[in-house]
Amino acid sequence: MLTGSAPSRTTATPGGAHPWPVPKVYPWLRGHPTVVDATLAAALFLASIAELFLASIAGTQNWPPDVVVGTAAFSAALAVTVVPRRRYPEAAFAVAIALVAVQIAFGTQPSNATPPVRALEPSAADAAILVLVYTLAAYRPRRISVTGLAVTLLAVAAAIGRWAPAHAPHPGAPLLGAVVGLGGSALIAWVLGDHMAYRRAYYASLEDRAERAEAERDAQARIAAAAERARELQEQRARAVDESAARLRRIERDLHDGAQVRLAALALALGEIKENLAVAAGGADDDGRIALLVAAAHENAKQTLAALRDLARGIHPPVLDRGLGAALSTLAEACAIPVALSVSIAERPSPAIESIAYFCAAELLANVAKHSRASRATISAGDQGGRLLMTVTDDGVGGARLSPGGGLAGLLERVQTVDGRLELDSPPGGPTIVTIELPRHA
Amino acid sequence: MTPSPLRIVIAEDAAIMRDGLTQTLTRRGHDVVAAVADAESLRREVDAHLPDVAIIDVRMPPTHTDEGLRAAQAIHNDHPKVGVLVFSQYIETQAAAELFAGAPAGVGYLLKDRVADVSEFVEAISRVAHGGTVLDPEVVRQLLRTSRRGDFLATLTPREREVLSLIAQGRSNTAIADALVISPRVVEKHVASIFAKLGLAPSDNDNRRVIAALKYLES
Repeated sequence: MLTGSAPSRTTATPGGAHPWPVPKVYPWLRGHPTVVDATLAAALFLASIAELFLASIAGTQNWPPDVVVGTAAFSAALAVTVVPRRRYPEAAFAVAIALVAVQIAFGTQPSNATPPVRALEPSAADAAILVLVYTLAAYRPRRISVTGLAVTLLAVAAAIGRWAPAHAPHPGAPLLGAVVGLGGSALIAWVLGDHMAYRRAYYASLEDRAERAEAERDAQARIAAAAERARELQEQRARAVDESAARLRRIERDLHDGAQVRLAALALALGEIKENLAVAAGGADDDGRIALLVAAAHENAKQTLAALRDLARGIHPPVLDRGLGAALSTLAEACAIPVALSVSIAERPSPAIESIAYFCAAELLANVAKHSRASRATISAGDQGGRLLMTVTDDGVGGARLSPGGGLAGLLERVQTVDGRLELDSPPGGPTIVTIELPRHA
Repeated sequence: MTPSPLRIVIAEDAAIMRDGLTQTLTRRGHDVVAAVADAESLRREVDAHLPDVAIIDVRMPPTHTDEGLRAAQAIHNDHPKVGVLVFSQYIETQAAAELFAGAPAGVGYLLKDRVADVSEFVEAISRVAHGGTVLDPEVVRQLLRTSRRGDFLATLTPREREVLSLIAQGRSNTAIADALVISPRVVEKHVASIFAKLGLAPSDNDNRRVIAALKYLES
């Protein structure tokens, strides 16, 4: 029961907790309540019949056959009320108590002047009312079962009240016996039922608690698994971000040491040729065609150098290697409007974070120059609570918005790849304040 | 072109550029006394030869960040008579500011692309070797654009702005006259007018003139 595995709760399992095999009859009985109750009804009926039989053998009563049949029929009716007791406890009790009321009204008389209807005299089948009080207490709310008990006790009082005067010559002990026997029985039936209800509720609560504990264990296991997965993903992402930053830096360096320097050497050589041709002008070359070609090639090489430099700087600005402060100051100097810069970073963030901060600042300053009509801007970058906090403000017209596909949305995406935050405050009329918060490491 | 041959040390980690520069300078009659590939060798060769000028790439082994810049500053401190011309694939204003802090006599900072205009580059080397100042036009352009003295700069005529830019690059009056294809006397008039407008003391010394211009633009 407490293990919460319903099918095995009553069967004896080998190696289980039971030291001896539990009889299979209990589960069978629990599975067939109607049979049990029908048997109980039959027992009550038979008890009544046996009572009649014993009384006639003892010769204390001499009953004509019609009384015997009437008594048997009434006992049968009373006994039958216990059959539906589990499904309709109140109705069964009501019917039984009505039958008992009829018995009290007609089966007992306060004086011998008017003889009672003998077929309606209380019998052993009246014990059905005890079964029903028990049932009410066991299956119904206490409010109902207490009402049932009170009605029963009233019925007991009425029965004794009507019965006692007819037996006036010997009150005392029999009267007390009747009060204690009948009232006590009703009370005991109620107490037993009530206890049964309490036990059932207790077991149900235990079972419920066990189920909840199990559910909680499952939930905790799932949460732990999810947390583990989240940590794994976070580590993977951090590695990916760092690797990508390192790869971009490598590409820039390869460009610098390879294509850029070769192109610069080529431009130098072309420059030499161009100048030598100019010195030797009017010589071999008839109309200066070669000089023109070389000059064009020279110009081309210079422009390609500039383009390549912009490309490489877009991939990874080398100034970032000297720290975010140096990189931001280069950005600030290159901006079309004056930019006040204040940087106080005690511990350098990882290269990937510095790169994100740098490209955010670059994009924001470009926005300021293009759209804000600001006369000045400020960038401040510093540590705050173990994170990097960067603020870019301008005194422009404001009204900047985070529209999908826009530059600011791109920045937000970039910042979010490392669990950073970007806040935009740009009321119409300005000023515009963009706050970016980044972890020190991806 | 240059009357007196210069004694030069080159520090550049890319062999193709190192050799190209050596050949170009040798062809023009200069004496490349050493061509090295890292900052440490550079310091050693400069100490040994005390050349007129050292041409230094910013990014060199081992870290490929700013070894050249640091070495240039150290050389400039230890041997003020040795000119240092730093050249780099990128122009960084902060690096320029560090390089030109203090007394920037015999200091140059140029974009690597400038080697393509060979004569101008060699002329810049010569200027630095003789205690002059050379600042890349790109840096000057940024200074002019972002200077907090924008209001005063706005009072200059377009021609005067051109002249100021060339002054800041470290050009002499003659060089400015050549570059703008005007007579030296017109250049002198422009220079006097610029310095008057900006409230700077006029100076005939090219180097002091550059410093005044730079200080004005940066302040």
